[in-house]
Amino acid sequence: MAEKRIVLSKCGSIDPQDIGTYIAKGGFSAFIKARDKMKPQAIIAEVKKSGLTGRGGAGFNTGLKWELARNAKAKAKYLLCNADEGEVGTFKDKYILSNDPFGLIEGMCIAGLAIGAQQAFIYLRNEYHFLYDPLVRAVGQVREKGYLKHMDIQVFEGAGAYICGEESALMNSIEGMRGESRYKPPYPPTRGLWGLPTIINNVETLMNVPHIINNGAAWFSAIGTGRSKGTKVFSVSGDVSRPGVYELEMGSTLRELVVGLAGADDLKAVQIGGATGNILPASMLNTPLSHETYLGSGAVVALNSGRDIIDVVQNDMHFLNDESCGKCTPCREGTEVMLEIFGRLARGEGHEGDINSLDALARTMAVSSLCGLGQAAAVPVLDSLRYFYNDYIDRINQSHFLRSYLSGELFKSEEGIR
Amino acid sequence: MGNVNVNIDGRKIRVREGSTILEAATANGITIPTLCHIKGQVPSGVCRVCVVEVEGSKTMMGACHTPVAEGMVIHSKSPKVIAVRKVIVELLLTAHTGDCVNDSNAENCALHNLASDYEVGAPHFNVRNPRFYPAEESNPYVKRDMSKCILCRKCVKVCGEVVRKDVLSIGYRGFKSKVVSGFDEALTAEACRDCLKCIEHCPTGALSAPARV
Repeated sequence: MAEKRIVLSKCGSIDPQDIGTYIAKGGFSAFIKARDKMKPQAIIAEVKKSGLTGRGGAGFNTGLKWELARNAKAKAKYLLCNADEGEVGTFKDKYILSNDPFGLIEGMCIAGLAIGAQQAFIYLRNEYHFLYDPLVRAVGQVREKGYLKHMDIQVFEGAGAYICGEESALMNSIEGMRGESRYKPPYPPTRGLWGLPTIINNVETLMNVPHIINNGAAWFSAIGTGRSKGTKVFSVSGDVSRPGVYELEMGSTLRELVVGLAGADDLKAVQIGGATGNILPASMLNTPLSHETYLGSGAVVALNSGRDIIDVVQNDMHFLNDESCGKCTPCREGTEVMLEIFGRLARGEGHEGDINSLDALARTMAVSSLCGLGQAAAVPVLDSLRYFYNDYIDRINQSHFLRSYLSGELFKSEEGIR
Repeated sequence: MGNVNVNIDGRKIRVREGSTILEAATANGITIPTLCHIKGQVPSGVCRVCVVEVEGSKTMMGACHTPVAEGMVIHSKSPKVIAVRKVIVELLLTAHTGDCVNDSNAENCALHNLASDYEVGAPHFNVRNPRFYPAEESNPYVKRDMSKCILCRKCVKVCGEVVRKDVLSIGYRGFKSKVVSGFDEALTAEACRDCLKCIEHCPTGALSAPARV
């Protein structure tokens, strides 16, 4: 099946530095329609009916979220666009921001009308510093056209922390505090930035909004599966011959994406959703990609048969341990203990107890961590234990072998190797 | 605000709307352990030993910061909760290098007591570099032995929100986090005076009164 480009429909055909080319392609028609012909409640109703869900990974109904903020009584409301695309292997937002910044700004303008926000921020990750000036210029051009009379957009640059992509840590970062997550509830739509109602949407989520306003909720909800409507932009990397950004209808299979479009060969496993993503064996390539199954942020990393899954998980854990903010116990201590275990498995110092320890730790972290980082850090560990259990056993047997070899006991008993 | 009905460990309880699960439980004689909570202060929710199961929620909730809602069914002592708490306490014991066995004040250590209540025993996890910091006695009022610190952040909270001095804060990130004064400088007598509130709240004895000469 071919790609279905909705979010990326204007990428490549407009000049990202010239609003004129965007308007010539029908840009800002949705904003004008929403501003002049629709009440905020009608915009929210339309988005809600379309079934648009958050594209950052959690998959919450966007219209429902907006409604919560709309109904909250407060002296000011904020709209945040999460462009802190820190998830390992995700680069779709970079592609969108570099090729179609106006689409995002139009989406934000409409969202601002819907929730009644006066101030919006685009939280740009520090590593995308090269996009700062183009984005500021794009916002300036939109302002000159007079489309930003109801709300101001400020581009805010992060300081380079993965955790700041988590919505509450992102708000802390904008407030000037340590980038650490907050407990929920209260959720941001009721109490967010500076204690005021705040809507935080991913770049891709906001990109969908103008298309929904232009074409209607019914058109949008006809695309996709039962609970996941529309399309999804995927970033495919790893052992594929054509890595890149692909947009597919929700519910397309992993095979279409990784083998069909990206051209993977000799697959062993696929990791979906970055360092905290699910690891699926090649036998599960027919899994459809949607919120009901696996999706995450849309990062898809293909691993061929030359890769060792335990090395992959160790690498993930190394990253997560480094990026843990250190606020809550399970994540701060748990990632460190897991890293110690993976280090020993890599050096040939593993033992049977390690599998139980990893399992107990992963289960504890998944349910008790304060934010999504710690909760999801357990996912690759649990998945690798489920689908690649024998790899762990092999590592442990190798450890036994090494120990017995070094102590000269190899030929005394077969116990060690088994 | 009105009252709401909740069910904790099979007991039907009527509490004020807006109170936390911990407050509801404590008021009704149900004990939920905490290490980082200070009664009357805004919860911090960092230690996670107070997690409870709430029916309908995928993850466990911190009792100290989750407000009750009408019809909530809470399990504070189910086998799952106990198992998770044990692992959390074990993790806290793992990275900590205090000499609990020889410490005459061990019975005052909240972590030590929690570990014995939950029969955690010697931790079987390891870390690459357990936290070790030399004990610091440069301040005449507070002796800091940060090796014993479990990063519950009570001292930071008390120093900032109760005493309003903001001498202590969190430095570094992740596993390397540490309670620091300034840019991880020695806690001088100029920065910190003798309010001794942090010593009062420290659960493990990382902060203590220096022996009088």
